[in-house]
Amino acid sequence: MDLEVRGLVKGFGSDRAVDGISFAVPRGRFLTLLGPSGCGKTTTLMCIAGLHRLDAGEVRVGGTTYTSAAGRVFVPPERRDIGLVFQSYAIWPHMTVAQNVAYPLEVRKVDPAEIGDRVAEVLRLVGLGAMAGKLATQLSGGQQQRAALARAVVFRPKLLLFDEPLSNLDLKLREQMRVELKRIQREVGITSVYVTHDQAEALVLSDTIVVMSKGRIEQQGGPRDIYARPANRYVSSFIGIANLLEGRVARATGPGRGEIEVDRGGDRVRLACRLGEGVEVGAPAVLSVRPESVRALREPDGEPRLEGEVLQSIFLGNCLDCRVRWGDFEWKVLAHPRERLRPGERVYLRPDPEHSLAVPP
Amino acid sequence: MDHAVQVGALEGVPAAGRWRRLVSQESVATLVAGLIVGAAVLLPLGALVLNSFRVLDDLGFDTRWGLDNYRALVQDRIIRKAFVNTLVVSTGATLLATVLGVSLAWINARTNCPWRERLEPLNLIPFFLSPFVGAIAWHNLAAPRTGLLNSWARQLFGIQAPVLNVDNIYGIIWVTGIFFTPLVYLFVVGSLRRMDPSLEDSARTTGAGLLRTTLTITLPLVTPGILSGAIIVFVTSAGEFGVPFKLGAPYGWETLTTQIFSKAVGDDANHYLGAAMSMALGVITAVFVWMQQRVIAPRAFTTVTGKGFRPSLIDLGGWRWVALAYNLGFVFIAVVLPIACLFVVSLHPVWEGEIIPADLTFWNYQKVLFFWRPDSIRPATDGIVNSFILAFAGASLAMALALVVSYMIHRTKGPGARLLDFLCVVPIGFPGIVLAMGVLVTYIRTPIYATLWILLLGYITRFFPYGQRNIAAVMLAVSEELDQSSRMAGASWLTTLRRITIPLLKPGIFAGWVLLFIIFLRELSISIILYSAGTETLSVGVYYLANFENEPLTAALSIAQTVVLLVCVVVFRRVAGREALTA
Repeated sequence: MDLEVRGLVKGFGSDRAVDGISFAVPRGRFLTLLGPSGCGKTTTLMCIAGLHRLDAGEVRVGGTTYTSAAGRVFVPPERRDIGLVFQSYAIWPHMTVAQNVAYPLEVRKVDPAEIGDRVAEVLRLVGLGAMAGKLATQLSGGQQQRAALARAVVFRPKLLLFDEPLSNLDLKLREQMRVELKRIQREVGITSVYVTHDQAEALVLSDTIVVMSKGRIEQQGGPRDIYARPANRYVSSFIGIANLLEGRVARATGPGRGEIEVDRGGDRVRLACRLGEGVEVGAPAVLSVRPESVRALREPDGEPRLEGEVLQSIFLGNCLDCRVRWGDFEWKVLAHPRERLRPGERVYLRPDPEHSLAVPP
Repeated sequence: MDHAVQVGALEGVPAAGRWRRLVSQESVATLVAGLIVGAAVLLPLGALVLNSFRVLDDLGFDTRWGLDNYRALVQDRIIRKAFVNTLVVSTGATLLATVLGVSLAWINARTNCPWRERLEPLNLIPFFLSPFVGAIAWHNLAAPRTGLLNSWARQLFGIQAPVLNVDNIYGIIWVTGIFFTPLVYLFVVGSLRRMDPSLEDSARTTGAGLLRTTLTITLPLVTPGILSGAIIVFVTSAGEFGVPFKLGAPYGWETLTTQIFSKAVGDDANHYLGAAMSMALGVITAVFVWMQQRVIAPRAFTTVTGKGFRPSLIDLGGWRWVALAYNLGFVFIAVVLPIACLFVVSLHPVWEGEIIPADLTFWNYQKVLFFWRPDSIRPATDGIVNSFILAFAGASLAMALALVVSYMIHRTKGPGARLLDFLCVVPIGFPGIVLAMGVLVTYIRTPIYATLWILLLGYITRFFPYGQRNIAAVMLAVSEELDQSSRMAGASWLTTLRRITIPLLKPGIFAGWVLLFIIFLRELSISIILYSAGTETLSVGVYYLANFENEPLTAALSIAQTVVLLVCVVVFRRVAGREALTA
């Protein structure tokens, strides 16, 4: 493991911003800390960087202990060899792009001739080759972003950290930079930790996603895994869009399979589903169904019947975004664009049992 | 066993990692700066409190503990009178400065008065000049016998009795009020400029006229700014030494500062009584400054919201020429007239209240400025050299200290940050003469007494908060991430300070430096307590000439000081911009 974070605790005053976080990243991999603002993800990142001290726990990079509260070890940030891309980019306004990027090499007393070569090389890598002589203040947001990245990788750090680097860019640039960032990270092959509140960003970039809430880890795993098998209601609602129905597990029908009884506005039905971890027969659970895993049919198709009324149907080009009222519950359904569902129409909903998951509430 | 466990925990740690936790550049620098500030601020104040309870016996040799000094404050007729005079002067000066400052700020910020941009810097000039020199100038303008204005009245209109007389408490109020008008002006003009114009516009739409809107909406909204300015003027006037010393003390109008001065030096020196009087003055000013800082200043942000507004200007019509005349009148009376008068006086061998064209000569300038000449006046000429040394070293050291202290307060944010922030406000609460009294009783038995070092210490202690505020203002505007990214790039704290922090803060550092340079170059009330033979300063030189030589020589040195200060003001405006002083 290249980066190991164990039992991280960090409080501000009486608040525990980070409350026992542990994870590990293998060499060259990309891990994302995902969560809403205030969940402790940035604090975790700053603890790894050495800009915050820990109350408990330990941070090891490449087998070296950087911080250990118990061992009273603290390596100052400048001796950690970690590249950090800030949310504000933090490009020094009194220097040119090339000077910004050369700075980490200068403080490391690299040979001046080599500095020039490496700066040019890394500026080419991030696509700023023509901007070397510009002052930082003359760059656009996206270019500052690239310069910040160049400055973070130029000294070939052991670890690369990103603190919501794309959140200040507009949507289009953000989507473009996501792909770019992934390419550059692959090319330099540096182990990376990325902080974001944008689940789409996390899904695109990461090898591993760590979903956080209130200073704790809710789930960690690969993007597909987390999307398909959220550990609980919180993760399910945070990653992607899901229909979340409260109910009670009625029975198990096989290994990891069962039926959940859902009661909405007098309509009581049993739906076949997969059973997530920690779900027990007879206990309350939440059924999570992605909108693309529900079909809306004009004719009933077997039992149970979920008869509803189309409230809204928006044509998005590649799909039809529908809301269907069933009792007092509103289903989100992504239908095929060729289907023509109109508001007021009666439809029968059919959640796919293979992609319906009962999770702990 | 314990040892072995620790070694295990430290395995693979870079060797210095463990030590650096305690002994990093940052922690050493901040600890040293914190101790310096703490000692510099708290020692003199502590010594002041302690010494105010020591009572000198009748022979003047021994002391015992007691409350006699405080009893004297109430019972001694002269001190009681000085106390009352101080309050009258401060109140009068505050009223005058507030009326002038608010009206000038309103004209400049909110009306279409012609030449507003040109007049603004002129309105601020008195802020940078020496009130002591102002008092000397007004003495030459309006002393009963030798005042230029009075002698003109005699010649032109044949009025024999003096028309004007500034050698009394009203003269003190007049000069102090005019000199501190820019303080009110600065506090008010900022809030007037930043005020949301829709607040006024909505009043106009309800049918309120211009005058009514101004009186019922505009002025109440800037009341916190006015109050802040007024309090600062009150406190500064109470601590002002030069003006009452020139216009009051020789004519029987003593104030607390002139009384403290007479107890600090001279034949009937009694440092303990002086300490008690300083305590009385200091407590009053500290309470007022505390009120301004903690109660009034925070409120200013709730009424004046937003930024980047361009308030609508009020069309004064024909009255705008009246407004212009009013503003020009202030500049004429506060700046042009006194300086011109001093210049005229300085060209005469002796001054009898009349301009004698045949006598005009630059001889006085040669005498006071050419310090290598044998006939130069030593205290004055030494003072010029000493003041430049003090101003240069003082401004540099104070800004270095201010930089580290600001860094501690706004970046490191360690456990001591709040305390340090408080310590930085404390010196502002005490007049220079009070703090100087504290420095005097603290260090009188140490080798630094009677050297330039004690002056340097007094200057820096009293005024480094101004530099600190200049830096802090810029520091708060510069993202902390710019510093952090340098650390992440591998630079140590010191390298980061040198290559990132200081270059980014350069405007604030330089503006603060020039401001302190100006303040130190004209400083009187600290110098007058702490100087001794050989360590006179520029203002002490002026004091010496005024006391022991004649008016023209005094005027010559005053003009020289004023010219240097005006040059510094131009530099300051170049680097600091319009409202840098409001901090």
